[in-house]
Parts: sequence; structure tokens; C-alpha cells
Amino acid sequence: MSVVNYGTREITCKIVYYGPGRSGKTTNLQHVYSQLPEERRGKMVSLATETDRTLFFDFLPLDLGTISGFATRFQLYTVPGQVYYAATRKLVLQGVDGVVFVADSQSRQLAENIESLQDLHANLADEGFDPRTIPLVMQYNKRDLPPGEISPVEDLDETLNFRGVPHYSASAVNGKGVFETLRSISTLVLARLSAPAAKGS
Amino acid sequence: MAKEPEDEEGGEFADFLADVSKEVADAVELLGPANVPAEEPEPKKTPVVAAERKKTPATTDSGIIVEWPNIADRLIEEVR
Repeated sequence: MSVVNYGTREITCKIVYYGPGRSGKTTNLQHVYSQLPEERRGKMVSLATETDRTLFFDFLPLDLGTISGFATRFQLYTVPGQVYYAATRKLVLQGVDGVVFVADSQSRQLAENIESLQDLHANLADEGFDPRTIPLVMQYNKRDLPPGEISPVEDLDETLNFRGVPHYSASAVNGKGVFETLRSISTLVLARLSAPAAKGS
Repeated sequence: MAKEPEDEEGGEFADFLADVSKEVADAVELLGPANVPAEEPEPKKTPVVAAERKKTPATTDSGIIVEWPNIADRLIEEVR
């Protein structure tokens, strides 16, 4: 869906935060939203249940202003992590340009991380994307929890990051690692956007 | 809960914006209008002939019409 429109002079990119339930996808978006200057703050759309779990998806339009003469917008989405919202996850992935996989670092959540990653690959393939090449960044969240409760980053990376994509430790609830992750996926998406032109020149 | 926005100019978002702006500028320069494939014109739509548009309502074994393709068909049937 990534669009560079020379007619309207617009660039639009869609980034989806994927991962198991309660891994911190919405918290990532909330932190980004909290850091936006007043004049750039649009509306963050969030549909949650009474227990604060994402019911449908979160949507945060990020208006970066005019860059090199182009109105640049990033659209950030999350998916509901719970297994029974499979159809919604698929829907949100339509037209995606880049994915942030938010893994829960807690040792007891490892199976859920693996299941969610497999679900991501299956849904990407169903939507016509190549899961091996789509821009992807791994975020190992909840690093603020006691060491006894979380897996070492090396272990998570070995288990989940078989593509060897950029990975970041984060504590989204404290804002740590959130913008580093967003910056990384943005760079990958923009690089891919111009890759065909660079190859051809 | 997420933190409050930082007051100073050089907040996290400002740093992010500075980095991404450079990436966008590079992408725009690399792409350039000449490198962007022209959009294919939309194929012309052939007007639908009236005879094609009209569909016979589906009926059950007992002959009761259960589906009405459009309001016009239904009105014609009612008038008859």
C-alpha cells in the first residue's frame, strides 16, 4: 500500500504492530501518541474491552508534515492478539508496508510468541506478501520485569528471529525502545520504497 | 501508563522526525517522477444493456418468489 503519489504529492505508509495478546502493542502506540506535539496530534482510535484488551484494532495516524515537498503520513495499527480474532488480524494486514513484532519477554509467554509469529507468517502469505522479505522488526518488550521472569534477549532472538532482522529491547510502559523500534521499521519501509529505483539507476 | 510529552523541542518525536525526514528525502530523490511507473488508465466501462440487467426473480418449488433482484422488477411484478 505504500504510496508515493506525485500527483497529490503524498507519501503514505502503513505499519502494523503484531504479537500475542498483552505483549504491549497498544502501549507502544500510546507512547508514540503521548510524545506527539500538540499541533500534530490527531486522534488515536482505540477499541478496547472493559479489561483494556484490544477488541478490534488501534489506529494512530502520524502526520509527519511536508518533507521534500511531500505530505508524509505513517499509519500505525495494532492487531488484537487473542487467538479468536484471527479474521481481524488478517483484515488489518491488508496493504501493510512493514511489521513490528512485539514479543512478550516473559518466559511463560514463549509459546504464545511462537504461535503469534506463525500466525503472522500464515496471514501475510494469505494476503499475498512474502513473509521472508516484508520489512520486519522484532521488539522484545517488558524488559523491566524481574530477570527471573523474562527470557534472555539472546534466547528470544534465537527462537523468534530466524530472519535475523533488527531487534530491540523495550519497556513500552516506560517508553523505552518504542521510538527506536519505530525508527527502525520506518527506515526499512522507506528503503524498500525506493529500492526498485535505486536498482534501476 | 504512557509518559507525558516532553516539553523541550528535542523530544523523542523530534529526533524521530529528523531521522525519518532524511530517509524520506532520499527516497523521493531516488524515485523521482521519471522512475515512478505511470498509472495505467482505467479500462472503459461498457454500458450495461437493459436486457442483461434484468434478472428473473428466483422462485421456490411452490412458485413463490423469494429473491427480488431489484425494486423495478418487483414493482413490475406487483403491477401485473
